[in-house]
Amino acid sequence: MDFKVSPFMYGLGAIVVVFVIAQSLFFLIKAWKHGKEIGMSTNDLRNSVVSSALFTIAPALAILATVVTLAGSLGLVLPWIRLTVIGNITYEVTAAQGALDSFNIAFGTDITSQEAFAAVAWVMTIGSILPLFLVPVFLKKIQAKIGQVTKSSSDSRLPDILSAATFIGLISAFIGNALAGKATYKELEDGTRISTSIGAGIMSVAVLLTSIIVFIVLQKICTKFKLNKLETFIMPISMFVAMGVAILLTHVGGGNLVTLEWRPVA
Amino acid sequence: MKKKKTTAKVEFSPYINSVHRWGRISSVLTILLLISVPLAICVHFNVWPAANDVFNGLLKVIPIFWTSAVLEVITYSPMLGTGATYLSFVTGNITNLKLPCVLNAKESAKVKSDSEEAEVISTIATATSSIVTTVIIAVGVVALSPFLKYLTDENSVVKPAFDYVLPALFGALGAGYFIKHWKISIFPIVLAVVILIFAPTIGTGTLVPICVIGSILAAFVMFKLGWLDSKEERKAKKAKK
Repeated sequence: MDFKVSPFMYGLGAIVVVFVIAQSLFFLIKAWKHGKEIGMSTNDLRNSVVSSALFTIAPALAILATVVTLAGSLGLVLPWIRLTVIGNITYEVTAAQGALDSFNIAFGTDITSQEAFAAVAWVMTIGSILPLFLVPVFLKKIQAKIGQVTKSSSDSRLPDILSAATFIGLISAFIGNALAGKATYKELEDGTRISTSIGAGIMSVAVLLTSIIVFIVLQKICTKFKLNKLETFIMPISMFVAMGVAILLTHVGGGNLVTLEWRPVA
Repeated sequence: MKKKKTTAKVEFSPYINSVHRWGRISSVLTILLLISVPLAICVHFNVWPAANDVFNGLLKVIPIFWTSAVLEVITYSPMLGTGATYLSFVTGNITNLKLPCVLNAKESAKVKSDSEEAEVISTIATATSSIVTTVIIAVGVVALSPFLKYLTDENSVVKPAFDYVLPALFGALGAGYFIKHWKISIFPIVLAVVILIFAPTIGTGTLVPICVIGSILAAFVMFKLGWLDSKEERKAKKAKK
């Protein structure tokens, strides 16, 4: 039996999963109770759970796809553990490749050396662990600093404007990528490429615009017909419709033109 | 008499203090759990890779990823809130999932930023998202492993949907903000596009903090110049003069 997918490895994965779910449940219940204490309605709290769960499905499936990408080399279980705690594809591929270089093993080939596998596990873990030290030490200090700036502001609108500007800055980086980004790949030693981000082109712009338009239309419908319950679903519906457009364009859109990127990678 | 410079001291509510306490405990537990995974692999298989091999691998990731970790904590924690920050930095996938999820939940619940309600909603959103993600990945790996490769194969029918999940996600998320705050949205989008034209391979980890700082500065300047005032506010200011 392949040691990478042995019952022992699945056992490790199960422990990590139970821990993450227990920790999340703990904070969820704590926040829910406090929400009730400060007068929030059960309906509002339940809506947050439902809308967040729906919102998560598509990106979570994309993360699952990442696990499969890494599984060729590392088996299914280690990428599963890594992407359940902290991980993301750019980091995990770089870390795995960095560790395997020492053993002259190309990333993408099935690892048969237990020693190399253990080295990869160490590099992936230590390389990603820093935020878990930084957050407990600095989070309160960062919040205190921001709190001071907000308190000293004489105009009550300024904190809200700066808060919106912060979110818009984050969103803009991804919108910019969909409009003008170039595809990036991780080149493996055997010449194969693992895609780490898509390039901007007809497809990315079509998906982006669909998502924006569907959102605006649904929001107008909700406001006009007072469909308060539908509001929770606007965001996930817009996302799924836009992702559906990506599938539709690829299969019935007519080949090269649809997959055209402004700046294709040679 | 010399004026004493006063700074407003920030008092945290008992709830926030309690979240910090539990957040710290859970961070320590997560560190122990994380380290125990490679340790258990070494003990179980009785293999101990040379420290030099591990160190060489770390040399390739630490300079980039530890720098971006510092930037991520500074940039994302104010947007996430206390409970959501502790949880997000454990489960990861912050920019592509947790943060958008928090923004969506706050928008839907129509809570005021920096309020205790916003803190509750963002924690609930992150916890729910973490649970759903963990369950989907676990079910996918355990139950669907024989079929997974067909879903993600280059020729799979649904592959394009996964490829374009980020524009779909941020388009829907951005739409709400752009309608409400269109004046402060123009500059950061133009900034991102211009940067990408001249530095096409810049990583998202670097682009996000640049856009966030650019967006905050531009919004601050526009606010000071009165460009964000409503018609009524402009009239009131004119009347004062």
